[in-house]
Amino acid sequence: MSKQYLQTHTLPDAHPTDIFTLAVTPSQLLSASGSSSIRIYSTKGQVIHADTAEDEHPYPLVQTLEKVHPLGCHHICTSLDGKTAASAGFSGELKVWSYGEDDQWGERGEIVADQKNAGEHWAVALSEDGKYLATTTHDGRVNVYGTTTLADGKANKITQYETKGSFGMSVDISANGEMTASGHQNGSIYIFNNSTSRLAHSLSGLIKPVRSVRFSPANKYLAAAGDARIIALYDTQSGEQVANMTGHASWIMSIDWNWSGEYLLSGSYDGKAKIWSMERRECVATQTESEKCLWAVTWLPKAASARNETFVTAGAGRTLAFYREASGT
Amino acid sequence: MDDEDFEDLFGGGNVLEDSSQESLTNAAANLAFYESDDEKRMHGRQTSPATSLGSEDDEHSERKLARAATLTPGVGEQPDERDPPISAGSPPLSLQVQSRSVISKIEEVFEQIADGMISKHNEICLTLKVRSKPTTATAVTQGHDVSHQAEARSRRVCFPGKSAEEAWRFTVVIRILELVHEALRSGVTLSKRDIYYRDPALFGSQAHVDRYVDDIAFTFGIPRSALNVAAMAKGLVAGAFTFCRRDGSVVNAAADRDGILVPSLKEVLSVDMTAVRWIVVIEKEASFRSIASSSFWETLSTQGILVTGKGYPDIATRALLRFLSTSSPQNGFTTPPVYGLVDFDPDGLAILSTYKYGSITLAHESAELRVPQLKWLGLRSEHMLLGGDNTHSSQGLLTLTARDRGKARNMLERSALHGDADSDGADDADQAYARELQVMLMLNMKAELQLLDAVPNGMTDLLDGALGQL
Repeated sequence: MSKQYLQTHTLPDAHPTDIFTLAVTPSQLLSASGSSSIRIYSTKGQVIHADTAEDEHPYPLVQTLEKVHPLGCHHICTSLDGKTAASAGFSGELKVWSYGEDDQWGERGEIVADQKNAGEHWAVALSEDGKYLATTTHDGRVNVYGTTTLADGKANKITQYETKGSFGMSVDISANGEMTASGHQNGSIYIFNNSTSRLAHSLSGLIKPVRSVRFSPANKYLAAAGDARIIALYDTQSGEQVANMTGHASWIMSIDWNWSGEYLLSGSYDGKAKIWSMERRECVATQTESEKCLWAVTWLPKAASARNETFVTAGAGRTLAFYREASGT
Repeated sequence: MDDEDFEDLFGGGNVLEDSSQESLTNAAANLAFYESDDEKRMHGRQTSPATSLGSEDDEHSERKLARAATLTPGVGEQPDERDPPISAGSPPLSLQVQSRSVISKIEEVFEQIADGMISKHNEICLTLKVRSKPTTATAVTQGHDVSHQAEARSRRVCFPGKSAEEAWRFTVVIRILELVHEALRSGVTLSKRDIYYRDPALFGSQAHVDRYVDDIAFTFGIPRSALNVAAMAKGLVAGAFTFCRRDGSVVNAAADRDGILVPSLKEVLSVDMTAVRWIVVIEKEASFRSIASSSFWETLSTQGILVTGKGYPDIATRALLRFLSTSSPQNGFTTPPVYGLVDFDPDGLAILSTYKYGSITLAHESAELRVPQLKWLGLRSEHMLLGGDNTHSSQGLLTLTARDRGKARNMLERSALHGDADSDGADDADQAYARELQVMLMLNMKAELQLLDAVPNGMTDLLDGALGQL
């Protein structure tokens, strides 16, 4: 049984260039692109009543962090509690943001790379409480910083996970804070145990670049995807691969679990977004927005009052597109 | 570097800018100069490229050794003779024989260094002859045994040497010898620019390469062309046009699928481009040849021009492209559109940008060489999926190296100076560059033009798609 999703809203030309990355908090959507600014939209009004004025601006722009990444921003992430964000830019800078009492984001500080080379900070992930920040590097390391110690361009490096030296393309920290996972250019995938600071599992890998790794909300699974065009599902305790989901015809650029862990969302280089049922372990919906690359896809956190979930896609089309499940029943 | 070095650097450089043919008069002048010179000991040490370098005439060498013992490369204090014999008037031998003998010369040098290292000499020395006067030239042709060196200074370069600079100098010489050796072995012609780009960090500047290459040729007593090193005319051009040389000859660029060497604009009187509807500049010689040998040749030879600068273009290639694409009485006031086809990697974009905006190193003369209307045909990120899932074509896709990523970042920084994408200052082309660089970094991948060869009709489809609408 397939599911139906409808495009409910678009924000065309949300950024002047490719939107490379998205992150969400319980009430906001953060987007960053090849331009220097980060834009923040409110998602509180996501329950759409067709007759109200709200319909016209369901996702209003509430803040723009102007010129914060001069060469553009390639990764942004938020903590689950929505209080901390981190963004990494093309010149190698890594910025940490705090959500203030005034409902505005402010810069808490910047971690300046030790050596001045591209790729010391690539993919980023924050722990649930925002206290730990994991970043991948060009030579395959995963650095974990304590964001509370951030001062004068430096933060205490809590640990450094070493891998076999292949470019770290993706990273995630599990919701319970116990695990860090990284996906690499050469297809390898690792799970580290944060309490022992040791490698827990070296997973069977995808041979081709792994562009996205994500822990399921209950920490039971790790999903990984990339140029192999499959989504691989691993059991985080045993390290065994438990499923292999095929269907994308092109490189998979990003994946995201929904709040319950029942569905996975994926976006690919050829512009297709797919929804995968974990129960059935297959694709249940495909959205083709355009043929332009979808760099980032994400579910919006489910509002208590909303019956249906909404997801967002963004990419080379520079548009933020919002989709909602069509529930005729 | 002392003052004298500068002097001979510039002096030598000026003369060497000329191609071998053009320096004939210079050489003749030098000859006259030299014959009136008392310093006769150098007589006959230079030999024309057309004469035999293949045989080792020991008797001859020894005699010369007595005359010029210090002017030869060697190890430690042991003089070694490797000068070519004089064989005036002998028939030209094939280039192959010539290059083989140069190879053996180079190998001898390396052997001596190895011997020196084994026998634990404290210092390993090379003796270079240095062209000391602005009136000298090295390249001579035309069958005459023309010697043109009035007076040669010699300089010993030792390793480890007395200073860091000397060690560097030694390394530069050895590195150039190694590159030349490789070029001779594989039958490839390098330009001085190529040599520089093989190790820009070591050489530091093009001028150093120019100087040492010429010194090496001079020391070996051969023209630079015998080292398979060319100063210019690196580029190739083919297509539906003819040009008249200053000497009255007419060259048809559609006659030969191999293309013709880019002529010096000084030689070109006028060009007939009435049939030309477009010009395509391509980064690589391999792609140039694959287009010229494909069915696309029919189109090319009747309505287009194909140019390659073989990597980073030299001035002659850029000057020709500018000449062909900019309205002037000499080209019949035509302004055909110009397209660039380069690798999808930071160097490809830098090459494109060199044609379009000029090079950084030659900023002072860039304005005369720019082709700002150059359009970017490919490769772009959208071409990366051309091959689909086919493994052959995915071989054309490579992972960015750390150097690539660093270079891409620096280029992004430079383009950010032109104007932030958020502001109105940046023009579309700048934004397109920045965008493709970012995508390249995001994907951490690059694609070479060879990708198009892996796809059936990949290259012709791409060209037809863009040029067919004209």
